[in-house]
Amino acid sequence: MNSFHQNGRMFACGTAALALAAFATGCVEAVPEEVVEAVESIDRDLMQLRASEISPDDYARFTHQWMALKARVEAEDDAIRWPWEPNDLESSLRLLQEEGIQTVARLTEQRELLRRSAEEQLARVEDRSRVIARHVSTIDSRLVLGQKPVETELLIKQARSFYEQGQYGQSLAASDQAAQSLATQALLLNSELGRYANRERIARWQQMAKETVEWSRRHRTSAIVVSKAERRLTLYRNGQKVLSYPVRLGFNGIREKRYQGDGATPEGRYRVTGKRGQGETQFYRALVLDYPNAEDRRRFLLERKTGHIPASRGIGGQIEIHGIENELMAQTLGCVMLDNPQMALLFSRVEKGTPVTIVGALHEQNSVALVLANLSARTNEI
Amino acid sequence: MTRPSKTVPVLCAVLLLILGGCAQPPTEQINAAEQAIKEAQQSGAAIYLADEYAKLEGSLATIKKEVADQDAKFALFRDYGKVDQLVATTKSEADRVKIEAVKKMEEAKAVATQAHHVAQDEVKRALELVAKAPAGKDRAALESIKTDAEALKASLNDVQMMIDKADYLAAQTKAKAIQEKSQALSREIETALAKIGKGKPAAGKKK
Repeated sequence: MNSFHQNGRMFACGTAALALAAFATGCVEAVPEEVVEAVESIDRDLMQLRASEISPDDYARFTHQWMALKARVEAEDDAIRWPWEPNDLESSLRLLQEEGIQTVARLTEQRELLRRSAEEQLARVEDRSRVIARHVSTIDSRLVLGQKPVETELLIKQARSFYEQGQYGQSLAASDQAAQSLATQALLLNSELGRYANRERIARWQQMAKETVEWSRRHRTSAIVVSKAERRLTLYRNGQKVLSYPVRLGFNGIREKRYQGDGATPEGRYRVTGKRGQGETQFYRALVLDYPNAEDRRRFLLERKTGHIPASRGIGGQIEIHGIENELMAQTLGCVMLDNPQMALLFSRVEKGTPVTIVGALHEQNSVALVLANLSARTNEI
Repeated sequence: MTRPSKTVPVLCAVLLLILGGCAQPPTEQINAAEQAIKEAQQSGAAIYLADEYAKLEGSLATIKKEVADQDAKFALFRDYGKVDQLVATTKSEADRVKIEAVKKMEEAKAVATQAHHVAQDEVKRALELVAKAPAGKDRAALESIKTDAEALKASLNDVQMMIDKADYLAAQTKAKAIQEKSQALSREIETALAKIGKGKPAAGKKK
């Protein structure tokens, strides 16, 4: 009996010692808390990087693994494990932590690249927009572009706004749209004003001017040549240049006149059909031209017939070379306008019947052609 | 005497098989969780709570994998307890994300709509000023201001279309851009008005 009791006590002591040892050495967490926290921290970093936006696949891969492991962590939260037991959950978490660190590094770099690329593209379109606006202003062709400049400006503002909010992808997309809109502006300028860079057309204009000067020489009288690109009026007498003044054109003067109210200044051969002195015109003094001439009428009817000009539009008229009503209200709707002292001189030297030839340009290297060349040379910059 | 001793283990085995065979995946609950995730996505979670939505998808993938793992086991050893727990958590999380996404989307919509209204007011003001503007020294400038104001008015439709398509962030940035440009245009006209306000527009002429 004693031996039985002794054996029993020994067994109980052994069991207690084993339990104590198990408590002392085996009460380890199924997964160390710091590993879970490290992965959680990586997840926060990825969210801050907007990983789900800049690299949805990378983030989905990380999240799928993280969710699977998190579920296991929660399931095994109260599991007892021997310290010498292999712990594949911890290994998996550590592996995910490693992968996550690499993903964070890669996406940080990727996001920085995206940010830089958005910043550079925005700077390029802003610069290009300024260049086009400056050129367009130089040749007074803002109206040729219609609503395009505002559309482009809004896109650039949007791109800037997205950029400031850290939405680099959307900023880049808006900048790209703005770049396309700027390309359209350049195309529009080329299609509307391309004739200023057309050698044949310039040669024809040069010939018209030459014939007008020749007419002045032959008839020993005055003749006027107006070049729209150069914004200059030149008076010839006996084939010799006697004076040359800068002029202003209609508000859409760079274009070819097509119909009433378009603000364009007509191109062609005209004559002075009337002189209006002080009190007869609101524009100080005026030389009335015979616009529309037969050629203008033929072109107008053809364009209206083909639907290029609305049926409700008239051909217009009362095109003059005139002075300025007053400095505050200096304006013209399609005429050729001079400052009053110069108008007074011109008025005194010109008679009724004087030929007036208005051309687009007299030189191949005219201001409009130079702008168009400059714009097309920089087309590929954005 | 030998017959009952053989019958008992067979009966026990059959009973265990029946009990084991009863472990079925919670298909109905899984479908409900999946539906909740789909609804969260339709409520804009993928856009407004992209990170949390990605986690929901991750949880769903975990559930499906766990079901597949259990299905692959011998019927007696299948245990869908972990699936039950995951499904319950995922479903409630999806419901929360859905509510949160709707809230965020409504907030974004309200901000975009407000920005649209502000832009509308600014465009209206610019158009009124354009109508008042005298044909001043630079007629080309006035015509271009008119064209710009018309362009801004047309752009307001783009904002409305973006709102209709629930693209609220784009709508908000566009409306803000329109507002800024309209204000700049109004300032330009006001300056011109201050300078030439006393001038009278020229009488209409045929040109």
